[in-house]
Amino acid sequence: MSEFEKEEKIKAQLEAKFGAAITELTIQRKNRIWFEIPADRIPELMKFMKTEMGHTHLATITGFDGGENLGANYHLTDTHGIITVRAKTPRANPHLPTVTGVFPGAVPYERELEDLFGIKIDGLAPGRRYPLPDDFPADQHPLRKDWKIADAYPDEATAKQEAA
Amino acid sequence: MSKMTIPLGPQHPALKEPVNFTLVLEGEQITGSTVNLGYNHRGVEKAAESRTFLQDIYLIERVCGICSHSHTTCYITCVEELAKALVPERALAIRTLVAELERVHSHLLWLGIAGYEMGFETLFMYSWRDREQVLDCLEMVSGNRVHYGINTIGGVRRDITAEQKKIILSKISYLEERTKYYVKLGTEEPTVLARTQKVGMLPHDVALERGAVGPTARASAVKRDVRKDEPYLIYDKLDFNLITHDTNDVFGRLVVRVLELVESYKIIRQVLNYLPEGPIAVKVPAKIGPGEAVSRYEAPRGEDFHYVKANGTDKPERVKVRAPTMANYPSVSYMLDGGYLADVPMVIAAIDPCMSCTDRAMVYDNKAGKVQIYGWDDLRKYGIEHYKKRGIDFSKM
Amino acid sequence: MKIKDKIILWSRLKSPWLLHFNGGACNGCDIEIVDALTPKYDLERFGAVLKSTPRHADILVASGPMTRQQVKRIKRIYEQMPEPKFVMAVGACACSGGVFDGCYSVVSGIDKVIPVSIYIPGCPVRPEAILDGAVKLLGALEASSK
Repeated sequence: MSEFEKEEKIKAQLEAKFGAAITELTIQRKNRIWFEIPADRIPELMKFMKTEMGHTHLATITGFDGGENLGANYHLTDTHGIITVRAKTPRANPHLPTVTGVFPGAVPYERELEDLFGIKIDGLAPGRRYPLPDDFPADQHPLRKDWKIADAYPDEATAKQEAA
Repeated sequence: MSKMTIPLGPQHPALKEPVNFTLVLEGEQITGSTVNLGYNHRGVEKAAESRTFLQDIYLIERVCGICSHSHTTCYITCVEELAKALVPERALAIRTLVAELERVHSHLLWLGIAGYEMGFETLFMYSWRDREQVLDCLEMVSGNRVHYGINTIGGVRRDITAEQKKIILSKISYLEERTKYYVKLGTEEPTVLARTQKVGMLPHDVALERGAVGPTARASAVKRDVRKDEPYLIYDKLDFNLITHDTNDVFGRLVVRVLELVESYKIIRQVLNYLPEGPIAVKVPAKIGPGEAVSRYEAPRGEDFHYVKANGTDKPERVKVRAPTMANYPSVSYMLDGGYLADVPMVIAAIDPCMSCTDRAMVYDNKAGKVQIYGWDDLRKYGIEHYKKRGIDFSKM
Repeated sequence: MKIKDKIILWSRLKSPWLLHFNGGACNGCDIEIVDALTPKYDLERFGAVLKSTPRHADILVASGPMTRQQVKRIKRIYEQMPEPKFVMAVGACACSGGVFDGCYSVVSGIDKVIPVSIYIPGCPVRPEAILDGAVKLLGALEASSK
């Protein structure tokens, strides 16, 4: 048996259930597994991992801007290791399904994706925006790579230039 | 320059921080509550992308003034993994020492705040006075009282001398004596028991469901502590107990924190005796990656989580910080529901989050049909008076 | 100076009540502000008491780089304070934005929003610096009314 016995077992379990949907699976080191799955399979995968595999804790969701695609990394743990699931969505029409049905604590993480990356979360209950200020323009998303502070506050940017 | 996002008020909460709660009341009983976050969002994650890995240490440190070492250690662990740096054992030991000193300072701080919220101001003054001893140690070791700046990529910036070791040990003995008193106070004093027992219940399965972390989860008998589950630094070489409690209430959270103090003293002693000889840092190239890494760290408030993506330059592509209080907020609504208005300050304080005098809790009285706005202080006074009428009074002690 | 004014000045100098406001700080300054009130430093010996309502306060002790979400709130709090009122900007962030200068969600400095009477630098400020700032503020108040 290899030194990653536990990790290999998780890999086999996932591949038996989801087959070719799981791509780019890597075992980085002990306790660290990374893979990618199509966005529409995310809720199903979360449910499977939570109920069948004992990964009961969703540590957080990290959004990312990968140029053509936006996306999110879901970090799941079974207290001993971290499994990161990547899901991509096209920049032109970004949307991901909600996982709040499986992990009710994920609400703030998903609101962050909506606010900071502009990824529409399908099925997320309506609520107050988070974490941006109430008066921040709704069509701007600061964590996208092409966003500049001048897009939201043009007056301040020119004032700073004049001062310099 | 200019960019970053780190949801703070939400993500890293602590004392006197802005957060807004909406409570729905029927008479004195709470029937619904929502937590409104975002008042402290500064944009650290975006800013981190425009600074170098080394500069980010100082930025990430300022995510939180109470668990600053937790955040930098967690972040640096990711960076060092990406850079494939072999950190010397002595550096890891010094990081562990600072981490545990920080836990002691944070738990003593919490104990004082809890005392203040229940109207027991003597306890507040006592524990904050004792906390100065830890701050002195931290200042001696790192040069600063609050943001230690001891971490650097590849090791630590300052060494520990034999003399410092002696001083830390003597201060720890003093604190150990004092902690015996707090343990007695927390577990035997009837007034404390009356304000904390059966308040803010969080059953075991709900704690799991809502992803609670740290002492909040451990007080609901959830055996979850990153130091045990996935040992980092030198925790796998140390002997300490995982403290849990099964009462699921504020009392349990108090007991867990006070007993963790005792474990921390034990750890500090072991680390100081272990302290291997050798260098305290290795050189790491400025350009790192490409690659991704995640790491976890048991901060005083629970599991801290960092994600770093490097793209081969000297700046990170993406940094994500998830502080423990963020994970605990979903549990707060559950703890508040069905409880009494008078218990709100105790329940919120018990997860060790932020509380701000300037932030208000809006109280809707459904029966009277009116909205009343309470300040935090009004609410605290209301709670103290409420219990005084029922014979629980700290002013007579 | 009339005897009435003398009494008012005396009571103002002997009981400067504080209101603490966190404008998005990292808590480092905030715990040091509270620390200044506890036994080792004991700011209360100058008659200072931490209040939580702006209507009772003389000095607004503000920390943090001022997040945009809080701008409206701090203005309202400042307006609610009775005259004469003073603002103490505690920490590098409150003075100029500090390490957060340039972040999209902060305005970098409390003086961008409300007038500041005294700046206390440091990251975080030490309790001694807060004591020093409070004493200097009171000294200036006494000198200006002579």
